[in-house]
Amino acid sequence: MIVTSSDADVLFPPAGSTSAAADVAGLVFSRLAELDFQANTVGDSGFRPAVARSWERADSTTIVFRIDPRARWHDGAPVRAADVAFSFDVYCDSLVNSRFRPNLAAIDSVSVRDSLTAVYHFARWYPEQLYDATYHTKVLPRHLLDSIPRSRLASSGFARAPVGSGPFRFVRWDANASIEVAADTAHFLGRPRLDRVVWRVVPDPAAAVAALLAGEGDVTPVVPQAELRARVRASPDLRLVPYASNGVAYIAFNLRGRGGRGTHPLFGDRDVRRALAMAVDRATVVRSLFGADGEVPAGATARAQWIWSHSIRQVPFDSAAARRLLESRGWRDSDGDGVRERNGVPLRFELLLPTTSRARNDAAVIVQAQLRSAGVDMRLVPLEYALFDRRSLRKDFDAAFMARTLDASPASIVQLFGSEGVRQSNLGSYESAAFDSLARRAIDSPTRAAALPLWHEALGTLNEDAPAVFVFSPPFFAAVQRRLEGVRIRPDEWLATVSEWHVPPDARLPRDR
Amino acid sequence: MLTYVARRLALALTTTAAVVTITFALVRAAPGEPLLAGADERFVPPETTARLRERFGLDRPVAVQFVRYVANLAHGDLGESFARHRPVAAVLRDALPNTLLLGLVALLVSFALGLGIGVVQAVRAGTWTDAALGGAALAFYSVPAFWLGLMLLLVFGEWLHWLPATGMIDPTVHGSLSAAGRALDVARHMILPALTLALVNGAAVARFHRAAMIEALGADFVRAARARGLGEGRVVLRHALRSALAPAITLAGLSVPALLTGSVLVESVFGWPGMGRVAYEAIFSRDYNVIAAVAVVSGVLVALGNLAADIGVAAADPRVRRR
Repeated sequence: MIVTSSDADVLFPPAGSTSAAADVAGLVFSRLAELDFQANTVGDSGFRPAVARSWERADSTTIVFRIDPRARWHDGAPVRAADVAFSFDVYCDSLVNSRFRPNLAAIDSVSVRDSLTAVYHFARWYPEQLYDATYHTKVLPRHLLDSIPRSRLASSGFARAPVGSGPFRFVRWDANASIEVAADTAHFLGRPRLDRVVWRVVPDPAAAVAALLAGEGDVTPVVPQAELRARVRASPDLRLVPYASNGVAYIAFNLRGRGGRGTHPLFGDRDVRRALAMAVDRATVVRSLFGADGEVPAGATARAQWIWSHSIRQVPFDSAAARRLLESRGWRDSDGDGVRERNGVPLRFELLLPTTSRARNDAAVIVQAQLRSAGVDMRLVPLEYALFDRRSLRKDFDAAFMARTLDASPASIVQLFGSEGVRQSNLGSYESAAFDSLARRAIDSPTRAAALPLWHEALGTLNEDAPAVFVFSPPFFAAVQRRLEGVRIRPDEWLATVSEWHVPPDARLPRDR
Repeated sequence: MLTYVARRLALALTTTAAVVTITFALVRAAPGEPLLAGADERFVPPETTARLRERFGLDRPVAVQFVRYVANLAHGDLGESFARHRPVAAVLRDALPNTLLLGLVALLVSFALGLGIGVVQAVRAGTWTDAALGGAALAFYSVPAFWLGLMLLLVFGEWLHWLPATGMIDPTVHGSLSAAGRALDVARHMILPALTLALVNGAAVARFHRAAMIEALGADFVRAARARGLGEGRVVLRHALRSALAPAITLAGLSVPALLTGSVLVESVFGWPGMGRVAYEAIFSRDYNVIAAVAVVSGVLVALGNLAADIGVAAADPRVRRR
């Protein structure tokens, strides 16, 4: 029994957007191939067969997948190559509007060679071809979906009661309350060790932990607050399972003016940004927020990504150097009011932050005090989430406290800080030819060993240019009943190993049967 | 009486129409992009947003949208939820009965508690019993419902393990139970959320009813009843309580909006799959059609509550009918 904070919105994998929808899709549907526990995204190693029994490269832009002839949909129909081509087509269809569509941009087409052979054609060679071909899409049953208009797929009956080819089959969905899946005992890759998995929706984090402590659930994926983690630690029945964070929260500076036009009067100056970065004692912020559980991010990455390292070059906390740098740029407190000014203009800016994030609100208050001691007046503008989102996307801000969940692939960083992302997700409009070049070379490197130093150099360049202050990575801890064994958590997909989870026979409760 | 009911019904319909209009205007005036629900600060190409706006008619002038919305509403069509990819009617069909069940039980319990406490306080007015019950009622009336819910959950769910902490059913066993077993399962899960709402609302009822009872106990007809030698219990329960019930009936109608508002947070704390949570999530994601539908349903419920109270008071007091 999983205690989850939100219900699924829709159980049609291309359209689902909540974590519960992704959880269920991960168990009911299969990919062509699965990432192993290390979640390597570069090259062709580190993937294990799923719907595809094997794969081979016909040439540098073509991968041929052989479908496992044993693979079956939960209605008994065989999984065929035509399903794979159909799935790709659905994910790329603008009427479906899948959020995974941009991840498939480098794939030209998918063709069917015979009923058990699907061929992926890429526009160019790059090292993450296999990752892109297999990770972002689930294989969908063409025979059940082909007759439904694409614009209606997400609202179809299938999206409420899906039929997949994954290790668990869909059983029941009580809206806003619970979702149940049961083990596919005849699954072609072997029967999962759990008989069934039930998600129970409890939106309040404190109530979710209380439900676990009351024995009404077995696991919850994230225990967000230190006081709740302390309650779990104190329980003889529960344990915390830490796993690498794939989140990073950062104060993004808008390098252009409001609306993304012109140059920002403060943040267009690299030295001012660096001075602000130097004035923020991130270790203190993290300690205050998360105690010993937290971690200062090394930059625009998170521990869950394979490029994570503390050796990445960073701007150190040095309040004296920050003050000197600001003075060298003409920002001085001449009237003694504690705020620097230049040509009569105070060193003042607004920080947007969403009211829904307690961690970001707490962190903002600490950062505000730290900047104040450097003579910088950062004014907090807490906004209801939808408004925060709208102003961020319109680049209508001086600085905004963003939070991002990063993909397993570091290539996603380019969308956030690369020049090609300026019209899209690069909301601070940072542009650097050096960063772009390093990141592009890293993405095109054939091996992780070759890519790693390039990524570190790219992230070091980013840190030195300080388009953002990377304040914290939220610690990820799942709370798990001790009787549940075999629990390992892969950060990018926390239920990836659920087929190995089990409850020993002598520890089973009536509700396990 | 029929004229009176018709007049109140017309007022209820006018109120509901006003709620529809105001909600429609407010929701569209609020900042935020309804079609980016779940985008999580993710960039969505403008052409995709434009196509979705066209599909849902959001590219039309607001006046046109309103006319179309009212026309659809008249045919019972509440539109489609942007975030849930479902007809709004289906979303409400899942959630509304759960909220009504919780609200109705909470209303009954709160009135049983409130009337009982109000009577005891009035009978013992000025004593320590009155002061203690009054203090307790004030305390429950003052605490936020979500905090009280968390405390009840902590004590009875987590520490004592007497009652289920969350949800409306136990999804692992509910399907295998008999009809009676399923009803019992729902009843056990309802105790804590219903008690949370009932304690807060019951405290208000008690404070209100104490004053009404004290006034009734001092009335001439009560003195006359006592003079006739009737027992104190009979005087209080047959004569004073009956007279003091009319304002309580009005209060019951007025409690409907309070219970609906309270259910938003209480449903969230207890994981109760009701309309409060649907409303909360819809507001968060700017799911226009769901917000509007929830407002319409809430408006209708409040209007019906008031109508029922008006009719109840009129039935109890002929003077009201003549106004």
